[in-house]
Amino acid sequence: MKNIVLTRIDDRLLHGQVVVSWIPSLKINEVLIVDDEYAKDDFMSSLIKESSPNNITVNVMSVENSAEYLNLDDNKNNLLILSRNVENIYKLIELNVKVSTVNVGGLGYSEGRKKIINSIHMSDSELEIFRKIELKGISVEIQMLPSDKVQKI
Amino acid sequence: MENINYINVFLISLLYFWGSNTALSFGIGYYTLYRPIISGMITGLILGDFKLGIMAGAVVNIIYIDFVSTGGSLKGDQCLTAIIAAVCAILFRLSPIQSAAFSYAFGYIGILIWKYRLNINSIFVRKYDEKYKEGKNPNITIYNGVLPQILLYFMSSLVMLISLFLIFLFKDIVKFHIIQNILFLFGIYLISLSVINVLLKVKNKKGNFIFLISLFLATIFNFSYVFIILLLMILFLIISYKDFYIEKNSYLKNKENRLLNKWDLIYSWFIWMNFSHACYNFERLQGMAFAQSIKNIINKLYKDKINASEIIYRHTEFFNTEPNIGTSIHGYIISLEEEIILGKESVDISYIKKGMMGFAAGMGDSFTQVVLTPFYVSSALLLCLDNSYHLSLLAVISLGINILYISYTGFMQGYYLGRDSLIKRLNIIKNSVIKKYFPLVFDGILGACVGKLILLNKLYQEVNLIYFIFALILSVIYIWIAKNKGKILRRS
Repeated sequence: MKNIVLTRIDDRLLHGQVVVSWIPSLKINEVLIVDDEYAKDDFMSSLIKESSPNNITVNVMSVENSAEYLNLDDNKNNLLILSRNVENIYKLIELNVKVSTVNVGGLGYSEGRKKIINSIHMSDSELEIFRKIELKGISVEIQMLPSDKVQKI
Repeated sequence: MENINYINVFLISLLYFWGSNTALSFGIGYYTLYRPIISGMITGLILGDFKLGIMAGAVVNIIYIDFVSTGGSLKGDQCLTAIIAAVCAILFRLSPIQSAAFSYAFGYIGILIWKYRLNINSIFVRKYDEKYKEGKNPNITIYNGVLPQILLYFMSSLVMLISLFLIFLFKDIVKFHIIQNILFLFGIYLISLSVINVLLKVKNKKGNFIFLISLFLATIFNFSYVFIILLLMILFLIISYKDFYIEKNSYLKNKENRLLNKWDLIYSWFIWMNFSHACYNFERLQGMAFAQSIKNIINKLYKDKINASEIIYRHTEFFNTEPNIGTSIHGYIISLEEEIILGKESVDISYIKKGMMGFAAGMGDSFTQVVLTPFYVSSALLLCLDNSYHLSLLAVISLGINILYISYTGFMQGYYLGRDSLIKRLNIIKNSVIKKYFPLVFDGILGACVGKLILLNKLYQEVNLIYFIFALILSVIYIWIAKNKGKILRRS
């Protein structure tokens, strides 16, 4: 099992807050972006790789491949899992990936989503998935930056 | 001078509105007017003491030099702090360090506006939404560009009036010798906090060494850094010109039969630069601004008004990126909109936009906010402390030019060269020589700044050395606690 230091849901994936704040503060050196659509899209995959800092390994994998990969032996890296949505993370958990907490750091507004707190918007079905995750004993924490307070849904 | 008249108050409020706004200033207000050294200087000009204004601003700037804004996060409002510091220095005859310490708390009042603004701007989004759904064809310029700005003007004027009222309440108290000493030590504490934070962030043995050397040269020999800084600035400009240079040959090559001309693009870029954060809100961040910036393009492409307003409405969706590096996205999206009309492509524009924006933001912030801005701003500080006030202005202007250049070339590359230009751009930043060596340069400049500040203070007052050392130790303790708090969090 890989050493997962943070599992984050953020629709901007590897953006400023993550690159400038989370990665240095948790000493992350490997990022896994779990996304079926991007894994198939050559342009997005290379964009993701090019836009990541040099000293960090970044992989883009489909949900299934991610689960397989995460369950391989520890490679001594501090790993960050990023996903645009909660569905992918839920699928990972279903596929036996052990996640201790799910960090929520940005879900923008779109049709059908309601505001939970600033910068976090969820639809009813998304909210339900978060509840299911919590029922599995995994805590869900809303936290934009490492220095911010943790909030619950 | 011990008083301030109505015209002064009006001008100072206007300065604060304009500086904290990040709109209506060609996209570079945030890099120039908002910076304490500049807002302090302009306050000084308004109140008739340019030199004291810029010095107070410079000290506030050093207190804020450790801070990096990412995704709209802020430490405190440096612009308000600097304006208040300059006012205190000029009206109450406090030293720059004392006035910076005195005004520090006002940074937190300013930050309230920023947070409140991100909430309240959602009202304009909702109004626009409602009007659209009623089929009334609302004008995005009004909802993104005009109304939020009017509201902000009143909000920032109000905050400025309250702040000025507060400092005049304390006017007599700051005359006491003991209060002045406390302020001075608090100032030293804040400066030391900020400098140690930077050194810890850079965390480089060579960097620490360079810091000490330049500190030593500055304090013992009063070494002048003007020449070195100018040289570095020229080097920075040359490298970024080379890096972001647009290959003219590839221009227009694959683009015949176009509906849009270069002026349409320039106009769209102009609107983006002036309004990217005009209606910044938690719900869609820069979404409304994206729509406003693309309005002229869509209106030209779609002769039918109803169609055009539907497309513009679609572009108001959630959007956020680094506003200068990320302009390739705008250029590319415009080219796609054109292709759609020409019947060549059918693409999911929303998917592409959202896919590109986050990555451009990550890489972009790590360059413009973490490298370019601190370099030019700290250079300006050092030049100012080195008594070259006019040259320090030049440093800030160079930053503005650099930002404009990067943003303009990105926009055009996105349109003419397509989406790969964004990858190319990010690659340039990733392997940038400037980025690689900047931390060492930054440590050096900072060391020199601290040295000059120490010298400068000898001019203003004598302070008990024990108190001085006490303030330094206090800042070290504070940082130690803050760091270990992080460790405890990580463990849990």
